[in-house]
Amino acid sequence: MKRSFRTIAALGAVAALALTATGCASATPEKLTIAFVMGAESDPFFQAMKVGAEAEAAAQGVDLIWQGDPANYSAETQLPIVESVLAQQPDGLVLIPTDPVALQAVSDKAVAAGIAVANVDTHTNDLSKVVTFITGDNTDGGAKAADAIAKAIGYTAGKTYEVVIGLTSATATTNVDRQKGFEAAVAANYPGIQIKDVAYSESNPEKAATNVSNWLTKYPNLKGIFAIDGTNASGAAAALQAKNLVGKVALVGYDAYPANVQLIKDGVFTALIAQDPAAEARLAIKTLVAFLKDGTKPAQRDVVIPNFALTADSTDAEFAQYTYVATN
Amino acid sequence: MAGAEKREVIYEVKNVSKRYGSVVALDGASLKLHAGEVIGLVGDNGAGKSTLVKVLSGAHEPDGGQIFLDGEERSWSSPREALDAGIETLYQDSGLAPHLTVSQNVFLGREKTVKGLLGKLGFLARKEMEHDAHADLERVGIAVPAANRPVAQLSGGQRQAVAIGRAVSWARKVIILDEPTNHLGARQAGEVLEVIKAAKKKGLGVIFISHTLPHVLEVTDRIVVLRLGRIVKDAPTSTFTGDTLVGTITGTIQTIKVEGD
Amino acid sequence: MANSKQATSAQTTSVAVADRLKGMLSNQSTILVGVMVLLVAVFGSIEPKFLSAATMNNVLTDWGSVVLLAVGQTLVVISGGIDLSVGAVVGLSGVISAWTMVNVLHLDSTATGSKATGGLLVGLLVSVAVGVSVGLLNAVLINKLKIVPFIATLSTMGAALGFSVIISSGMPIQGPANYELISAMDAKTNPFSWAILGSALVITIVGLFLHKSRFGLYTYAIGSNTFAARAAGISVEKHLTKVYALSGGLAGLAGMYVYLRLGAGSPSSGTGRELDAIAAVVIGGASLMGGIGRLWGTVLGALILFTVQSGLIMIGVAPDWKKVVVAILIAAAVAAQGLQKSNRRS
Ligand SMILES: Nc1ncnc2c1ncn2[C@@H]1O[C@H](COP(=O)(O)OP(=O)(O)O)[C@@H](O)[C@H]1O
Ligand SMILES: [Mg+2]
Repeated sequence: MKRSFRTIAALGAVAALALTATGCASATPEKLTIAFVMGAESDPFFQAMKVGAEAEAAAQGVDLIWQGDPANYSAETQLPIVESVLAQQPDGLVLIPTDPVALQAVSDKAVAAGIAVANVDTHTNDLSKVVTFITGDNTDGGAKAADAIAKAIGYTAGKTYEVVIGLTSATATTNVDRQKGFEAAVAANYPGIQIKDVAYSESNPEKAATNVSNWLTKYPNLKGIFAIDGTNASGAAAALQAKNLVGKVALVGYDAYPANVQLIKDGVFTALIAQDPAAEARLAIKTLVAFLKDGTKPAQRDVVIPNFALTADSTDAEFAQYTYVATN
Repeated sequence: MAGAEKREVIYEVKNVSKRYGSVVALDGASLKLHAGEVIGLVGDNGAGKSTLVKVLSGAHEPDGGQIFLDGEERSWSSPREALDAGIETLYQDSGLAPHLTVSQNVFLGREKTVKGLLGKLGFLARKEMEHDAHADLERVGIAVPAANRPVAQLSGGQRQAVAIGRAVSWARKVIILDEPTNHLGARQAGEVLEVIKAAKKKGLGVIFISHTLPHVLEVTDRIVVLRLGRIVKDAPTSTFTGDTLVGTITGTIQTIKVEGD
Repeated sequence: MANSKQATSAQTTSVAVADRLKGMLSNQSTILVGVMVLLVAVFGSIEPKFLSAATMNNVLTDWGSVVLLAVGQTLVVISGGIDLSVGAVVGLSGVISAWTMVNVLHLDSTATGSKATGGLLVGLLVSVAVGVSVGLLNAVLINKLKIVPFIATLSTMGAALGFSVIISSGMPIQGPANYELISAMDAKTNPFSWAILGSALVITIVGLFLHKSRFGLYTYAIGSNTFAARAAGISVEKHLTKVYALSGGLAGLAGMYVYLRLGAGSPSSGTGRELDAIAAVVIGGASLMGGIGRLWGTVLGALILFTVQSGLIMIGVAPDWKKVVVAILIAAAVAAQGLQKSNRRS
């Protein structure tokens, strides 16, 4: 008896909340509040995302609650953060779920409370109640890396070329997607490129440098290196410079850290594949605000923002758009 | 005791107390040690003997009470200060660093350095210390193992010998020996007693702690009995027999506190 | 008769040889040198390119930074403690040093000549100062707040990591570079670099102090029996402060080494290195219980660690297996020590 009464009371409270929430949105021209819960503050990817989110929030005239764990990309630390953000009753929530299953319930809870939810970068399993899902395309990024290497080494059919890939770990999903995209593009378009070896940097650029140094010794004819993320890019660039092989081995990296962007200009990197986390954040906030103001739904729920290959030929505007910005 | 009474008091504690949490290990103990005198400190396990030793050696600061050396009030904030004042202590069971050699242990805290700049940087005169450690231990009448062997490789008796040798060879005023004959055979224990007598002859004050009462009766001038942190008897050795000493320690013989002498 | 005499003398010589072998086996550094030779032979026979100056340079370049951490760790371990903060200090000192060069000295990667050299020298000082500061903080936590070294240095590790991310936004900070200091003197014939020689010089000096001076003696004494050390008049807290400050300072030095290697200060550049350092110390024969350890053992331990890591890449072992092999190596080293000890006792 007691229990069912409590359930009814809780349901009532939720319904009341939902009513007031919608009531607020339509009746009063009060400032909207958008909460943004990301993965890990320490990751430059999210730092860049923050810049885009703050800019768009200012442009749209909405309040932004920016939250997330300082260092750990994990559902365990993210769940309580989402809960406490929901307690502040925002109008919209941009969520970067660190786990597709673990974050589902809290996402549903937000929707039930009348909060408009968008997913960015990764998504929860059930996307049906989400206004929009915006992500970068890592598989496409891997393919672009293959194109850039092929171009740099002057790929001609019938010849063979030795190439290696520097990875961070066996399980990082971005690594897996980029590697898949790279391998698929090589198989389809550049059969002469042989992927000789892979190794893990364990998120440490010095270890990435070690891997590349040893490869340079083992494969005197090495033609190209695909460094799959910012860490591997930094380490590979260092190894090439220490071994005096800049320009002799094509190096395609990932993530447009300012330091690495500088190294495109110095000729160390043939290309850097850049994601555009700031654009993902901007679009997510824009879409949510439009939806909250008059119910406008985006033309397509799922949006893929392609990766971009920065090279020495890129324009200043492109460099400005894609280079990750440090927030301090 | 006539001999000792003529000499001056070199080391004295008045009314010292020490508690570990709720355990009162030492409760208002007072003690006078004369030059050339050997005091036997006895009592059951847990009576507070080792605690008194640690207060006397500067290893523990007492919660209350006073310490006088040569009539001057002192307080030790570290063993270093007591050592520098000429007070050497052999601690029960834990006085040596097992991974260091005999000579490193003998000279620990008082190393000899090489001459010149390297010496100022703390570079050690190893050979010289090994030689001197050997000589020092021999001088105080202790059969010494090789000075460059790690203490961990010595037998229990040999270790004890090194610890005693170190205390005796460095002492200038007072030597405190906490159960030095533990783990020793009869012959080695005899050597220790000889060492104590020799120290007395040199005019040092000795505090000797032991459960082997015949040793205490043989070598001491005065016996102080501790029970539950209190000094329950302080009298010349000649006033005890083996039986009365055991009775005093266990409490079957009624005692009144003796107020100094 | 003559025969039996011969037999006896043969027996005595064989006993003498066996004794000597036993003596050699009980010597940690002999074992380590043997393991080194064996590894080089195995890797070299599988991949002839392993036997080259370039490979030696690869191994020594890795060794040069981690050996600094491992040597500091050796002192800490001998004193009976542990320092988990050293990896994070590599990142923090590199980042702060790069930040200083860029934002205070206004030097960037295009700086050359005496300007760059001057900047790097300032960077070196900053780097070491950062390391020493973290070491002193460790000492305060351990001595004053009585936190056990494992927890104290674990928390400074987290704090150092956090600070380096805050300062750098998680990205490498590029400052003046000098790859001549880090590159092999001659790629074909001379595997050494100025940075490697610098590390070698520093650890030689630390080794002399550890094994020949009062500083080292007190470190062993404290790790062997803290009470005895204190009773002998050693100021244990003061000495441990020096030990942790030195470990931090060496980590700061390693931070600058890694900065030179990457041409940038990166917050993650020391990730996991504390474990490499501890592995080198353990392979080198030091006891995590304190009181036991030789610097030479640690130096060889680090060399073995990186010989294996380079060797496994060179012979093409799949990266997932590399960790397993290194783990087996460490377990074997510890087991060998256990056997040795029981041998000695019998
Ligand atoms: N470090 C310590 N911490 C807590 N209690 C202690 C400590 N040292 C001694 N005690 C306690 O103080 C009392 C006196 O101990 P101790 O001086 O060692 O006695 P004795 O040497 O006469 O056997 C005992 O009850 C003992 O358990
Ligand atoms: Mg005792």
